[in-house]
Order: sequence, then structure tokens, then C-alpha cells
Amino acid sequence: MANKQHNWRTQVWIDWCPGCGNYGILNAEILALRELGLDPTKTVIVSGIGCSAKTPHFINANGVHTLHGRGIPFAMGIKLANPNLTVIVHGGDGDLLGIGMAHFVALGRRNLDITVILHNNGVYGLTKGQASPTLRKGLKTKALTKPNIQDAVNPVAVALATGYTFVARSYAFNTKHLKEIIKKAIQHKGSALIDVLQPCVTYNNIYTKEYYEERIYLLEEEPSWDPVVRKPDEEEVITKLSNAWIKSMEWEDRIPIGIFYQNPYVDTFEERIRNEIPDYFENPPAKQPINTEENLPIIDTNAFKTIFSEKIVKIKKTNKK
Amino acid sequence: MEWKVKKRLKEKIAKQNIRGFSVGDVINYLKEKGIEIVQLDFQKCLKRLAQKYAISPGAISRYLSGIGIGAVAALTGISLESIEEGLRARLAGREKLIEHNLYLINLVIEEIRSNHGTPFKLKGPVTDSREFLVVTGNDIIAMGKIVGGLRVQTYYPITPAADENLYLEEKMLLRIGNKSLGGIVVMQTEDEIAAIASAIGAALAGARAATSTSGPGFSLMVEGLGWAGMNEVPVVITYYQRGGPSTGMPTRGVQSDLFFTLYAGHGEFARIVLASGDHLEAFYDAVEAFNLAEKHQVPVIHLVDKFLANSTATIPLPDLSRVRIERGNIIEDNKEYYKRFDLERIVSPRAFLGSNAIMWYTGSEHDEYGHVSEDPVNRLEMYEKRIKKMDLIDQELSEEKRVILYGSKKPQLVLIGWGSTKGPILDALPRLESLGEVAYLHFRVLVPFPKRIVREVISGAEKVIGVEHSYFVQIADLVSLHTSIPVPYRIAKWTGRPIYENEIVDAVKKIVEENKKRVVLTYGE
Repeated sequence: MANKQHNWRTQVWIDWCPGCGNYGILNAEILALRELGLDPTKTVIVSGIGCSAKTPHFINANGVHTLHGRGIPFAMGIKLANPNLTVIVHGGDGDLLGIGMAHFVALGRRNLDITVILHNNGVYGLTKGQASPTLRKGLKTKALTKPNIQDAVNPVAVALATGYTFVARSYAFNTKHLKEIIKKAIQHKGSALIDVLQPCVTYNNIYTKEYYEERIYLLEEEPSWDPVVRKPDEEEVITKLSNAWIKSMEWEDRIPIGIFYQNPYVDTFEERIRNEIPDYFENPPAKQPINTEENLPIIDTNAFKTIFSEKIVKIKKTNKK
Repeated sequence: MEWKVKKRLKEKIAKQNIRGFSVGDVINYLKEKGIEIVQLDFQKCLKRLAQKYAISPGAISRYLSGIGIGAVAALTGISLESIEEGLRARLAGREKLIEHNLYLINLVIEEIRSNHGTPFKLKGPVTDSREFLVVTGNDIIAMGKIVGGLRVQTYYPITPAADENLYLEEKMLLRIGNKSLGGIVVMQTEDEIAAIASAIGAALAGARAATSTSGPGFSLMVEGLGWAGMNEVPVVITYYQRGGPSTGMPTRGVQSDLFFTLYAGHGEFARIVLASGDHLEAFYDAVEAFNLAEKHQVPVIHLVDKFLANSTATIPLPDLSRVRIERGNIIEDNKEYYKRFDLERIVSPRAFLGSNAIMWYTGSEHDEYGHVSEDPVNRLEMYEKRIKKMDLIDQELSEEKRVILYGSKKPQLVLIGWGSTKGPILDALPRLESLGEVAYLHFRVLVPFPKRIVREVISGAEKVIGVEHSYFVQIADLVSLHTSIPVPYRIAKWTGRPIYENEIVDAVKKIVEENKKRVVLTYGE
């Protein structure tokens, strides 16, 4: 069904606020999906809860709108059952880095081939503007009664520290840049994070469009910047990770967007499973037959005795007295 | 030993007129009572073993278990040949270890038999079967899941569910010679929230998927359960109850989570709760859980407990000709607009993520396509579609499968229970026949509740007695709720120790003869 004619937009009424950064993300993603020529029936857009979580309903591909913070573990299950699907997770900063942080960390450790798009706007928009995990300490966005007294999480640094093998940042209203980053993230084999800076026009009066557009610069325009690990060499990995970490600290005056780190040499979780199950990709769990035509289990009595032989005790014939 | 336990033991010993608190004092006391004491010098046996095979002193204590095996074999007449076979099954390939153990066990047997003979000689086999399974509850449930077509199992380590996952991990690759029968992905997640979420994800993609846990883990899984209910996802949760609340007594058994499994989750949605009373029931239930889940597109909770999980039983091989795989209404839809939640039918045709259809799921109230909807008319219909499944399941799943009556068909006295109380109650039943027509009503399915049979059986009875490992004896309340017949008589135990046949006999007699309403069991204190 992969055809260029496919309309990637649904007819569902989009209820985001006018001017919301989510429009930019949605547009960029749809362009990326189209340009990659993906099959919408083999593509699954997963989300958690929040404004960002409505994204799957607006894309004409499979959509799974889950629980707050749980987009990643739902996506993991989908991918484990059928590793041939393209799986993309959308979550806000509260969703992925607050209530869902354990899952965010765990995905990096596993390097499952999933793309995570982080809608990063510094506030909980859907519940009317509370401070999110990426709002810096001391800031008072307009719905807060007092300045924020919690420190912020640096999503790029967390991703680098937990094993994501593709870590990038983009900006919601730079559609072209974001589209290209999404394409690269999907094409990357392994866990990918895209930290998308996104104004919340309703509740974040600090990280505004103007704020970002004054500060953002492109990493790829720095002549010496090379985030990609070129050979499977530990020293190079450490150097590239360290460079990315230092870059991720830049914020106040200049904010970098682009690819921070990419390492194509780490085996994916799916490949690790293939070490156990050799035909995992050709015959994934979701596609395996489990019954005969007569609806009997494919494990018959003989198979049962072979598979579970160590639990079976045979009794020798004794002469009954 | 905990100081309070120690103090209580001392008091008990003092009451029995035992002179001191040493093992020797207890032995002397027993001798005076005419009990034959089997004495054995452990050190001497181990020393001979060490000398014979030059085993270092540090390693020798590992052979201690051989003394116990030898002693039991000596007194019951188990042959050395049988023991050798057992050792070979257990320690396959470790020839030296087998030889050492056999030497020690033989030593113990000779020593004890020369002084005491074989006072408890076992009778010959009572069955013609030639093959048996020797399995724990964890093992047999894993086997049932594998036969039932499990393809993705996710879990977070927890007692007493962990060993099921361990066994599944050993069986990830299903292979007979060169022929592959498939592969099971078993995945340890970061917590139980992720375990159920990932299992649900796998189920959406078309794999039979399950997770297993106990109370604390299930507490975390409740949000996932609700999502599965809302999205009509066939996911199976194997729930091994252990002592609660909170951390409670993790290695002790209870049945106090009955109501929790029946009602867990906010909002209202359809579910099925199965309960197994022994190993074979657990095997068939593990398969059936998947069938029911997929046929009706609901989450299924398979409720067992610590007693079953960790009890090793010798059972016949399950009869696989009885087992069917029923996957329900599955389609490979390639219509342009597929309605995952088609209101035409209570159970809509199901396409998998990755099939030729495009579909949406959401935990929000949704329309037929799976898009968020606040429309009150849609709400009315979609909500009812989900709940009405309970009526459908109630019609399709025969009550005879859901509750089983043991003993008298027209009982005056009915014991009601489920799960692990089955064994001791069935043992106690013949001893209660002197009290009148007596029966045991054993629940295999708790949701949907088998109202008709239960009402028929208990409405004619004089006394109905609930038996459960809990404080409230929740099954009695459940029966009252569904039949409007009060069940005031209750036998409760919540120490986490098993209920024994004797306890049941005594408790029922107290209820019948002394008209007590409630008896609390404490044996094992």
C-alpha cells in the first residue's frame, strides 16, 4: 500500500490552540513519512497523554494513543511482536521526562529501533500550564503562582547517558529541518530521540517563538561538527559522546539544533533477540502460526514431550506384588 | 529466629513438661513417650564421603541434602536405583556429583535400615500410567502458556511469579529437531507498568501476549488493565497472590486479592477472571485464558496463588486432544476505512497492527474508528458495547465449566471455595459425611459469575460455608452479591500458612454442632 497518492492526513478535527508548535511537528512528520515512502499500514504512531498525544489521530497511519508516560512501553510491545513495523512515539516533556522517565531511560538501554519525538514546551499545556520537567529553575511562566523551584532535566544529555544511538534536536517551526531530522531518525537503526523545541502559545510566555528564533543555530553549519561515530571504536564513541554532552549544555544565548550524536554500530534489541531466535525477523511472534487447521495447538503430544522432556518422569514397569 | 516466635516455642516446650530447650531434651521427652528416634551422625557420614572422594571441608556441606534423601529412602523403602534415576534427571551429565551423592545416600540407607528396618514401606504403584510430569505451579502455567500459543511475555521480577518467567526464558526457542515451532519473546521490563503496557502492545500487533505478577505488581498494572478494557485488548495477566497488604508476606500464600481482581480499575469494563485449584486446572486455564481473551477481546486475569506457584506436584501429562486454540474473529482487512470498534457487533472483527488495515486506539472514549469522541450518543452506544460483552460471555461460557460441585448432588451442607483450598476441602469431604449430605462448590471462573448453578445448589442447603485464605472470606460475599442468599458461615485463615484437612473438619464441626458463624484457622502458629 506504499504509494505516493496516500493521503497521510485524517479528517479528524484538530483541536490544538492556534499557533501551537504541534502544527509544525505534525506537518514535518507527514512530509517525512511521505518522502520516505512508508506504508501507512506498516507504520504505527504511538503517543502518551497530553496535547502532543493527540498527534496519531491526525495522521492517516496506525495510531495508538496510550496512557500518560507509557507510549514507549506500548511501542516496545508492538515492536517486539512485529519488528518489521516502523514505530514512532510522540510525547510531551511531562509525559516522557516526568511520569514516563523510567521508560524513556529504559528504551535507550535497549536500543530498540523506535523513534521518539519529544514535544518540548516547558509546561503541562493540557492541564493549564503547570511547570514541566524541562522548565528551568527560577522561571515563572504565566500559569505558575510562584517561580519554579525544581531544576530542569536536559533531555539530550539524558538520552546520551542512557544509550540512545541517535540524539538530535530540532525546532517545531523549522519544518524543513525537523522533517529531515525525523527522516534520519526513522532511518537510523536503533533508539532515536528528537528533542523538538516547541512554543506553547497559551501557557509558556517565556520560551516563545521569538525567544527561540533569536537563539537557535544549526549544528551542521559549524564546520568542525561531526556527531557521527565513523567506526566501531570505543575511543571515538567516548569523544563523540563528550562533544555532544558539552553541546547539550548550551542554552542561554545560543541554542543548537541538529544531530548531537549518532552511533550506527550498537546492536539493536531486535538483533539481540535474534541471537536467541534465529528467524525472528522473517517469522516474528505476531505472524507465527500457533494452531493447526483443526484449531489444535501446533505443540502436539510428541512436541510437548520433547520440549518439556526434563520435567517428565518415566516409570519403569514393576512386578506388582 | 524472631524473638517472639522463640518465646512462644519456649512456652510451648515448658507446657509439655520438657526439661530443657535443647534438641537433646526434646529427643529424651519423645523417647519417654515411646516414640522411636532415628539417630544419625551427620558429621560421620559427611566425613566418610569427604575421605572417599577427597572433597574439601568447604564443599562438603553442600551434600547435606543427601542425608535427608537417604533417611526418607531408608524408612520408606525407596530403592537406590530409583534415587539414581532421580539424581540423573536432576544432575544430568554431572557424573561425579551423582556418584558422590549416591555414595552418601547409600551410606545413610544402610546405617538407618540396619537399626530400624523399613517401617513405612511404600505400596506399589496405584496407576498404570508410565509417564508423569513433576512440576511446580509456575512450571505448569508456563507450559500451558506455551501450548496455548504465547508469543510475547513481559514481566518485572516479583515473588512468587518470577520462576514462571525464568522457565519461559529457557523455552524461547521452540524447536523439534531441525523444525522450528516458533519463538517466544520474553522480556524483563523496567517495572510492572511497562510490563502490562508492552504486553498490550504485543497483543495489538497480533501476538498472544501475557504478563505475570503478584499483588504489588498488579497494583501498578491497573492503569494498563483499564486501557485494555477500554480498547478491547486480549491480554492475559497471570496473578499469583501473596500475603498483603503492601509488601505483606511475599513468600506466604493468601486468597485475599479476589475482590481486587474483580473490581480493579476506574470506570466499568468487561473482564474475565479464572481461578485454578491445582496444577492440572492451571494448565488448562493458562490455555483457555488466551482463547477467552481473543474470542471476546477482553483482558483475562488468571488468578492463582503462592501455594500453587511453589508446590511441586506429580501429575499426569495434560491431555492435549482436549485443547483447542480459538482466536476469535480476526480479519486482514484492506478496506480503506476499517472500523476497529464497529458498533454492528458487540465483538467487532479484529485486525492486527501491521495487517492491511489502518486503525486507531485510544484510552479516551472513542468512535468506531478509534478516534477520541465526546459525543454523548456515541458514548451511550460504545460504552454499552463494551459492557454488554459480559452478557455475551455469560451466555457462551457454560456455567458447568465455571463452577464444579463435588460430593452430594443435593447437599444440606455446602462448602464454597476456589483456588488452593480445593485440595484440603476435597480431602476433608469424606470425613464430613457424618454431618449429613455435604458438598464442595469449587469456583473455576469468578467473572462472569455462574449465578444459576450456585443459586440452585445453595438455595436448598441448610448451611453454606465459605472457606478462604483471607480475613473476610470474600467468596462468601461474592456469592451473596450474585444470589441474594446470605452466606454467614465462614472459615478464614490469613497467617499465610496452608489450610489443612484437619482444620477444615474441625471448623465445619464447630459451625454445625456449636452453631458458630465464623472460625479462624491458625494451625502452623
